[in-house]
Amino acid sequence: MTRIRGFYLAGERAILGAITVGFVLCFWEGLTRGWWARLLEPALGSGAAAWRISPIFLSSPTAVALTAIRVFATGDIWSDLGVSGLEFLLGFVLAIAVGIPLGLAAGWYRRFCFAIEPFLSALNATPRVALLPLIIIWVGIGIWSKVLVVFLGAVIPICINSLAGVRTTDAKLLRVARSFKAAEGRLFRTIILPSAVPFILTGLRLGVGRAMVGVVVGELYAATAGVGFMITVAGASFQTDKVFVGVAIIALAGVLMIEALSRLERRFETWRPKVGAAT
Amino acid sequence: MTEHERAFIGTGSVLVFLLVWEAVTLSRLVDPLFLSSPTLIARAGYELFAEGTIWKDLRVSGTEFVIGYLLAAGVAIPLGLAVGWYRRLYFCLSPFIDVLNAVPRVALLPIIIIWFGIGVWSKVVVVFLGAVIPMLLNTLSGVKTTEERFLKVARSFGASELKIFWSIVVPGTVPFIFTGLKYATGRALLGVVVGELYAATAGIGYLIAVAGATFQTDKVFVGILIITTTGILVVELLNRLERRFEEWRPKVGSAT
Repeated sequence: MTRIRGFYLAGERAILGAITVGFVLCFWEGLTRGWWARLLEPALGSGAAAWRISPIFLSSPTAVALTAIRVFATGDIWSDLGVSGLEFLLGFVLAIAVGIPLGLAAGWYRRFCFAIEPFLSALNATPRVALLPLIIIWVGIGIWSKVLVVFLGAVIPICINSLAGVRTTDAKLLRVARSFKAAEGRLFRTIILPSAVPFILTGLRLGVGRAMVGVVVGELYAATAGVGFMITVAGASFQTDKVFVGVAIIALAGVLMIEALSRLERRFETWRPKVGAAT
Repeated sequence: MTEHERAFIGTGSVLVFLLVWEAVTLSRLVDPLFLSSPTLIARAGYELFAEGTIWKDLRVSGTEFVIGYLLAAGVAIPLGLAVGWYRRLYFCLSPFIDVLNAVPRVALLPIIIIWFGIGVWSKVVVVFLGAVIPMLLNTLSGVKTTEERFLKVARSFGASELKIFWSIVVPGTVPFIFTGLKYATGRALLGVVVGELYAATAGIGYLIAVAGATFQTDKVFVGILIITTTGILVVELLNRLERRFEEWRPKVGSAT
């Protein structure tokens, strides 16, 4: 008995989580299959019909799983995945290429920061997807409109975090380096850049989320291919199971990328300047 | 001096940007249909408000935002406190919170439209889903990061769990809740805009979508400006509110 209890306590989190997830999936499956309606019929009479929900409306875990297998087996999904992946990659790489140098420069040159600050704050306060109708006018409904939305979504957190990274460099280190007459370029490369790395990684992690929103919304709004497009088409034709498959793919992609970046972040955590801790 | 310099340079760069924009459109380098211009946008904004057609859109979007946001706060804050306080409840709910956190909630729009139609309620649900997660996660981490010493002191003086919860945990969580509320504002606005871009019959996002589809670029910009202003105002309001709470909050760490 104590061994079972010990086992439970050791894995309590996983066990309780698995139980609730199983319970919810079971409840969901039962709703579309009419298990609960049949179960409640003696008690509620005709009112029990409310416990049976059309699969078109709600889908079910098994239907979603089967559709996922079918979609991957027939290979329909690969072209959509390719398009969305390309949009994401191009937009995100562009955001990194612009956001990090811009943020570092703005952090290093005070006056430059003053000049671009209003634009950064304004863009930060605007949900960038609201710009979609404009972007569509400018670059059409092909993949470039999505690349642009992804770029705009990801560039702001990346830039702001890089900026913050430069700003929070330990002042003591700078003073020491300056007293030993280190050149400004050297200062930047050996002190500022390394201590900004953890912040940049945080920016990348936040940027991934925004970029995903950009891909999905861009494709929901106007596209001819992509996972978001698949979701819209499936939704418009009441293929609820396919919608869930699309949502699951996006969620999975997001989780994987954020997890990878979190690992990288933890790896570089020791580089983060302990400002104020050793004063 | 630096404060002045900041204001000078900031205003200067914005002015230069606006002037260049205006000049580009005036000189017909780029068709105004594509780019609009600051003066065209100002005129379109003036006309929209003078004609009064915009009030209906503002009201619809406002209703969606307010209902969804308040609903999210009403669910997320108590739930976050409970989940932070009861470890087992956290274990039970964490898979769902993590999954919802990972899904861009706007991807659920097609399903939400099937469930709730294209009226106000589908947007309320999107706003709710967008806002509830940051509020919940922040409240949760607020409870989790309660000052260990305070709990120990209270327990050694035999304070009841309820008393500890209300007089130590909840006040300590307030700043975290505000962070969540501020963060959620952006998500909620995103929900309103995307929901209305995707399927709606009224609202600011709908105005933007229609204006974009008919190449009224100036009107699109007016819509975007309205949304940006709203976001800034709500966050500013929350900042003020937070400062009021700040006054009676225990100064953690200052009296070590």
